Amino acid sequence: MALKDYRPMMERCSNCAGCKFIPFDKVQSLRFAENCPSIGYYNFMTYSARGRFQLSQSLLDGRAEMDETVTDLIHSCTSCGYCDIGCKVTRYNLDVLDHNIEQKAYAVENGKILPGQKPIMDNLAKENSMIPGTKKANRMDWAEGLNMKDLLKEQGEVAFFAGCKYSYTPKLQEVARAAVKLLQGAGVELGTLGAADNCCTGRAKQMGFFQEFEKGANNNIKAFKAAGVKTIVTPCSDCYHSFKRQYAKLGLDVKVLHVVEYIDQLIQEGKLTFTKEVPMTVTYHDPCHLGRLGEDYTPWEGKEKKIFNQIHTWEPRKPRYNGAYGIYDAPRNILKAIPGVKLIEMERIREYSWCCGAGANCQDSNPEFSAWTAGERVTEANATGADVLVTACPWCKDNFDNAVGEDGKTITVLDIIDLVQQAL
Amino acid sequence: MTLSNEIYQALEAIVGKRNISRNLGVRESYRNVPAQSSAHYGPSEHWTPLPQAVVLPGNTEEVQGVIRICNKYGIEFKASTTFWSTMGYIGGDFAIQMDTRRMKSVTIDQKNMTAIIEPFAIGATVQAEAMKYGLNLNIPGVGCSSSTLANFSSWAAFGPNSISMGAGSENMLGVEWVLPSGEVMRTGSWGAGDGWFCGEGPGPSQRGLLRGIFGAAGTFGVCTKMAVRLHPWPGPKVLPTYGTVPAYKANLGDNFKCYTLCFPNWEAWARSTQYFYECDVLYTGHRQFNMFGRDLKAFMLKIITNPDAQLGDLPKLMEDPYLQEQNKSMKLEYQVIIAGITERDMAYKEAAVDYILKETGGWKNEMMLEKDMHDFALLYLTRLGHKNLNYVMCGAYEGTFGLTGNVWKAIEVAEEAAGMKKHWEQTYTHIAATGGDSSMGGVSSIGGGGSTGWEFFTNFDAYDKESVRGTAKFVDGNQQMHNKYAFGPDFCRWNSDVRHMDGYSYTQEEHNEMFSKAPQPWVFAYQYKIREAINPNNLCGTYVRTLDPSTLEKA
Repeated sequence: MALKDYRPMMERCSNCAGCKFIPFDKVQSLRFAENCPSIGYYNFMTYSARGRFQLSQSLLDGRAEMDETVTDLIHSCTSCGYCDIGCKVTRYNLDVLDHNIEQKAYAVENGKILPGQKPIMDNLAKENSMIPGTKKANRMDWAEGLNMKDLLKEQGEVAFFAGCKYSYTPKLQEVARAAVKLLQGAGVELGTLGAADNCCTGRAKQMGFFQEFEKGANNNIKAFKAAGVKTIVTPCSDCYHSFKRQYAKLGLDVKVLHVVEYIDQLIQEGKLTFTKEVPMTVTYHDPCHLGRLGEDYTPWEGKEKKIFNQIHTWEPRKPRYNGAYGIYDAPRNILKAIPGVKLIEMERIREYSWCCGAGANCQDSNPEFSAWTAGERVTEANATGADVLVTACPWCKDNFDNAVGEDGKTITVLDIIDLVQQAL
Repeated sequence: MTLSNEIYQALEAIVGKRNISRNLGVRESYRNVPAQSSAHYGPSEHWTPLPQAVVLPGNTEEVQGVIRICNKYGIEFKASTTFWSTMGYIGGDFAIQMDTRRMKSVTIDQKNMTAIIEPFAIGATVQAEAMKYGLNLNIPGVGCSSSTLANFSSWAAFGPNSISMGAGSENMLGVEWVLPSGEVMRTGSWGAGDGWFCGEGPGPSQRGLLRGIFGAAGTFGVCTKMAVRLHPWPGPKVLPTYGTVPAYKANLGDNFKCYTLCFPNWEAWARSTQYFYECDVLYTGHRQFNMFGRDLKAFMLKIITNPDAQLGDLPKLMEDPYLQEQNKSMKLEYQVIIAGITERDMAYKEAAVDYILKETGGWKNEMMLEKDMHDFALLYLTRLGHKNLNYVMCGAYEGTFGLTGNVWKAIEVAEEAAGMKKHWEQTYTHIAATGGDSSMGGVSSIGGGGSTGWEFFTNFDAYDKESVRGTAKFVDGNQQMHNKYAFGPDFCRWNSDVRHMDGYSYTQEEHNEMFSKAPQPWVFAYQYKIREAINPNNLCGTYVRTLDPSTLEKA
């Protein structure tokens, strides 16, 4: 769809404020009632999904101009997708997140990108990684000695895909290794794409760089198909969303599992048992792309059909991604299964979780905004009284780590795999 | 006329660089097409004017500073909170938009049962903070997503709980109010230096000047702080919600019950309300789900309480004999919540409801007693967090037939209004065909009971220009019926009263022309004198309904 195709949604938005707050029924306090990082930080309504709809209309009608401020505000969105969920609590026909990302693509098509985005995209083009400064040649260093099949050389059904963040960040490489060992220990035979292991490019899509996303995705799909992969396992929530939702649109038809789903399954089957007590009070952060954006993809092609004169429906029935079936329980099941761990929930959880701030690579392109967003979450975690903030995404962990230490925020941040490791 | 650099810099010096913008893209998002969030402002498809700048003041002093600059240079200004309502947007070209988003604090005074709030504190946050102290507030029918301060200062603000808690005029206490001149006025006990607890202080009623019964719609300056009356909440400190998005529900325990009370005819319906006005047992009373229309409500309730259901499921659901029976059962109904402070209190309230049903030949709808449905309706009416389901069917709705007043008067015309709407639904395709009667609103719009506040939900598609224009014609038809009964301007004409179809405000002369024909024109003449004193240069818009007394004197 092009930006102009979102016109019906733009004009049907009723400015109800659902995109700015957690579901109103869920509000427990003034402090943690809001849920759009972008308007939260910048305050002008333009930064909300509603404002973005208005802005798009104005751009398409030739009134607003794509100047520096507008370019900046279009890209100052982590694509966390909460606005979409908040909207769908009471509306059935607006795809708010898709619009926001399409608006970014419109800017990109017009050559309007942020200075901080250029090195990211340059690195993707040159080194197949979304992390500036990282090299293709070092991508698989993290996996050295792990005894995984090279799927380019021998067929294998289960591919382990670490993703850029785990592959290149030294403190996270150990976590990825632990995940592999854990699955191997439970008898899972894993392989990697080896030399063909490249960025999933999902974050390029979140940033509005559609061509780069499709190029990368199609190459990866080709590699997975050639290797005969039937299941992809990843510890990265962003990669998970890419494969499950975005690649599926491009024809990838394999089972996609996040490591937490696999571990939960192993626990349920009795193939993984914890032997050590981990006396810890933790709170869990739902990564956007594992939680509300982690629902299964259902192909759909159809058109709008009005019934009873003016009631909007779809023919055939259109899948409705409202966050109901994201991956929320698997990580919580794991935490509950670890002896000694006490889980305390934050106010904004599951489908209405607050974003970590790293989405759409804002960490690099809009560092102050991204850091503020992470700081808000750490403050919320602190408010629970938990000792540890646990998450299941390397981008979230990294951004939280950076926020700790600012303004008295002292919580320890752990990847859930780390915690599992401690209990084995 | 455009804002000079000198003026912009003066404004910037007050609110800081981060909190002001004159970027075209930013300003464009502070415009509104009334049809898109219609509800009483007319299905107009034009954009409101483009503000010269958008400013985000952070406190009373900054608001005062901005207004002084506006006075100095003759700039119109309009403050808004959540921007849902068209009346919150500017109405002229040489104007700035104030966005009060940075002012959102809520302070609970448990002892005096008040909340001291700033403009951007929405109903949900005020209620969540109040509940921690066993207190609650009247959340108006517009829902908890809107500003409590804006509702209470500038609009009618009645809702489901008004029968037990009263409406805006009854709940607004002390106010910190920046007049259009830039002067700060403190009303009620706050103005007398005695704290926030009381709406009235020494001298004439400033509350009456500021808001009257329906509010001045932001025409009398900017309220920057307000104390609102809180009421007892015999429930948990945090709403114990459960269920899968979007069908959230709440189990509040045995001392809360939500019923859909149904009646064989309008006379019995009205008589039941009289009993409830007398016996004081309702926490909440609202005809809520009829907003989906007489033909669709039970089926729509099944859709919105099922996370997997969609609007396209309506035709199939309508074939279900059980649901057909339930829909028939709730043809003339309203929802109530009873809340017991003690077991004995609850037993008394249950017995009172049963007695009233027996006396009026009424019954409780069976489907609405199912646990899922009960807990959904209970949460819906307690928080009003799903209020934006108002828009679920078509994306836009217009509230027509404002049946605000005596219940017996309202029921006299309810079926005629329903018939007229049904005729339009069947003859044209511009509005959704929901079954004629789609009236919804409070069992009482004032504390203790005595007056209804209904509107007919007329759903249309803001994207479909034929639908918008056809709805505008339907609005004309409504007005004719209102004229017949001397009801004055219909709900859906309230925007037409203050803005042209191109989004610009009417002049005072045009106001005079329209309101001189109203049933009680001297009310507007009185408001004219107040406006003349408070907002002599019309710097903050013309939404308040006024009439130059000389027009009447000449007549």
